[in-house]
Amino acid sequence: MNEVVEKVAPLAEPAGKGMAQGTDKAVVKKEPTILVCDGNEAAAWGIVLSRPDMVAVYPITPQSSLAEYVAQFVADGVLDAELVEAEGEHSVLSVLHGAALAGARTYTASCGQGLAFMFEPYFRTPNLRLPIVMSIVNRDGITPQCVWGGQQDAMTVREVGWVQLFCETVQEVLDTIVMAYRIAEDRSVMLPVNVNHDGNYLSNGIVRIELPDQAEVDDFLGTPDVNWHAALDPDRPMGVDPLTGGATGPGPALFVGYRRGHCEGMQNALRVIVEVHEEWARRFGRRYAPLVEEYRLDGAEYALVTIGSMAGAAKDAVDAARERGDRVGLIRIKTLRPFPVDAMVAALDKLRAVGVVDRAVSYGWNSGPVHQETLAALQYCSKRIPCLSLIGGLAGADLTQAHFERAIAATARLLDSPCPRAPVWLNAEDR
Amino acid sequence: MTATPTIAFDAARCDGCGDCMNACASAKSTDGKLAQARIHIIRDAESGRWGVAQCRQCGDPRCASVCPAAALEKGDDGIVAWDAGRCVNCLICTAGCTFGGIAFSAKEGYVVKCDQCAGAPQCVAACTRGALRYVTTAKLYNRWGELEDLFVPGLGGCQGCNTELIMRHTLRRVGSNTVLATPPGCIPGMGSVGYNGMLGCKVPVFHPLLTNTASMLTGIRRQYKRKGRNVTALALAGDGGAGDVGFQSLSGAAERGEQILFVCVDNEGYMNTGAQRSGSTTYGAWTATTPVGEGARGKTQDAKNLPLLMMWHGCEYVATASTAFMEDFYAKLEAALDASERGFAYLHLYSPCTSGWRFPSASNIEVARKAVETNFAVLWEYRREHGLKLSRDIDDPAPVTDYLKLLGKFRHLDAAQIAHIEQHVAEQAQVMRELAAMRPGDGLFDRSPSNFLNAAG
Repeated sequence: MNEVVEKVAPLAEPAGKGMAQGTDKAVVKKEPTILVCDGNEAAAWGIVLSRPDMVAVYPITPQSSLAEYVAQFVADGVLDAELVEAEGEHSVLSVLHGAALAGARTYTASCGQGLAFMFEPYFRTPNLRLPIVMSIVNRDGITPQCVWGGQQDAMTVREVGWVQLFCETVQEVLDTIVMAYRIAEDRSVMLPVNVNHDGNYLSNGIVRIELPDQAEVDDFLGTPDVNWHAALDPDRPMGVDPLTGGATGPGPALFVGYRRGHCEGMQNALRVIVEVHEEWARRFGRRYAPLVEEYRLDGAEYALVTIGSMAGAAKDAVDAARERGDRVGLIRIKTLRPFPVDAMVAALDKLRAVGVVDRAVSYGWNSGPVHQETLAALQYCSKRIPCLSLIGGLAGADLTQAHFERAIAATARLLDSPCPRAPVWLNAEDR
Repeated sequence: MTATPTIAFDAARCDGCGDCMNACASAKSTDGKLAQARIHIIRDAESGRWGVAQCRQCGDPRCASVCPAAALEKGDDGIVAWDAGRCVNCLICTAGCTFGGIAFSAKEGYVVKCDQCAGAPQCVAACTRGALRYVTTAKLYNRWGELEDLFVPGLGGCQGCNTELIMRHTLRRVGSNTVLATPPGCIPGMGSVGYNGMLGCKVPVFHPLLTNTASMLTGIRRQYKRKGRNVTALALAGDGGAGDVGFQSLSGAAERGEQILFVCVDNEGYMNTGAQRSGSTTYGAWTATTPVGEGARGKTQDAKNLPLLMMWHGCEYVATASTAFMEDFYAKLEAALDASERGFAYLHLYSPCTSGWRFPSASNIEVARKAVETNFAVLWEYRREHGLKLSRDIDDPAPVTDYLKLLGKFRHLDAAQIAHIEQHVAEQAQVMRELAAMRPGDGLFDRSPSNFLNAAG
């Protein structure tokens, strides 16, 4: 019999009973350990399974409990890692830079203002090609003051060069964190990965999840080798990040080479993300669309484009609409960076109209960031497809099935009416 | 190693009489002929002055390093000794030595060199003019000479800058099992990371961000500790990166007791970017952003005392040092390195800037010395277990104006500004005296700095 561990007060008993390291491996393997937990705890379990050498943390709502879970896991010996309680997010990521250059597998989590404060080393991380994994527990940006969920944080930094994955469910948070290390540390990629999970909805939503077996995960991840390309090691002395370009020195070609290599690593990541998700499905039995999920696009005339946890309510709305006979489907973007142009074009080409729902805004375009990304992909489609921007879920606002039914109706109008330039503000009337 | 004796030569006193050569030949050669002497006085044709060719008993003797038979070895007594049993008479040593200190003797049939006559050199005894003296060398020069130079030859900075001196000697002492962080500023400007695609150090080196030096070193040091390796995490940082924009990461690492050796080279401003004001710029100083004009007369605030701020973090070790007092600097470097095995060690070096402070490039060490002799910069040392100690007497300082008048950045000061500086220097000395009189058991850390400073003032 498998053991079912109900964890309503996880901090009081973080080690849990019958974890993957449990007594009868064969039984555990067949009948995975079950946890009931929220997304932040699931992320922390993903970190336990990934065995990082170093974790650096600084608290920020709604990430804080994730940092606490990891700290408690280290205190209880569940996770054998160096824990650095740095004095701010800027240092959190800087500590991990040093650690990774000394060969460490590393992890941190942040969001919102923490990510903003972290920006200076954050900007540098992918350029140093450090395979750091970092959760963003997505939070809207101040001002106005708010501590609630929203994706403005991750969307604002999407041009910096990190791989960005967005999860729909708590289980996907855990699984994606483990997969993120394989993607980040792949020698053809060597880039940091953000695993995004929506603040409030995923960070605090408690559900049943399955915990993969530790030995299986160890086999899946292999031994980390993160500083073969750039190391700060007296046994392999080298200068890391010398001055490039300019009027003196080795000339612009060196700088261009770094940038170009970074771009190629990003494109390689598209392939690696697919391969890793395939292998995950084979080994652990859970299959996720690695780049772009097509939901009920067969026979659909139009669709919503979503990202993150909102897809759950949106799929319910799509199901209800299909029952009524509306020919609507859904596209969920899992991988925003690198942007999966081919997968996106393949999905969009099946449609005559799309409505893109964003939980962030793109200032100056008067629409949402994912809407902008979709517009860019549309130019590769075989025909012109009208594309509406819908913005909702800002600062933790609820995106219910009713909101998505309105979104479906607004998108359906594109089939026989011109596409409005202005976005639809889904929560504008919510009080 | 202890201090070792050496033969010092003063060209100004030498008249070329040759008594030294005669004495040596008599003592060391069976035939007593001058050609057999281990010391030779030679006249320079151009200057007309006399020079000496004699074994210098080098700290890192080239004769020994090129010897294929290990016949030459520097002993604990400081003498480079020759072993007849090992010598194969290849004479490579005579080419290796650039001082004419070892030569082949046809009479003896092998190489001969000075052995200082077992502590009673006959050449010195024979010199009546005092041109040759038998003296004990300062031990640090022997020690430093033996340590590997881990920094690129030459200087990438401004002429007369002492930062290269600091880097070279710090790296020599800290050694090669080190990861070096040189945040943006004058330090990498010296060539540590290299501006031509080449590396300026023999140790792994990197540019952190200006803001995160102590944090990056935290990750490096901790990861190596985790892997069972004792790698020194060393920072050579400017005062802006340490005390202004990077102060948060410095403070955090110090508070956590990270095992880091953090050397702050304080040139009192952002000198690499063109001499702008920093929190370490002192009152009244001209900088590019505190200019002198009709309505402004330099900086209007006192500098923050960064080393004292670090002491209040309860670091393992904090000290101030100056390149005008190298023995003191070296002792502190040694103590800081040792302390960095246990916790955070912070070393603050006053580093006069020839370009930004506006003084002749030949005066750097003189400026550094005057800063200390006038109490403008106070040298002290703090150990967690012992409290704070002054490194030299501060009760009888030279007038501050002796220091101020050396520097173009203070040229515009009026009487009121000078009075302000004099008062600040006196108050600072008084605070340091009070701190030095306290011991950890006196509740050094039970009192907040502001209370303490109020009480001291």
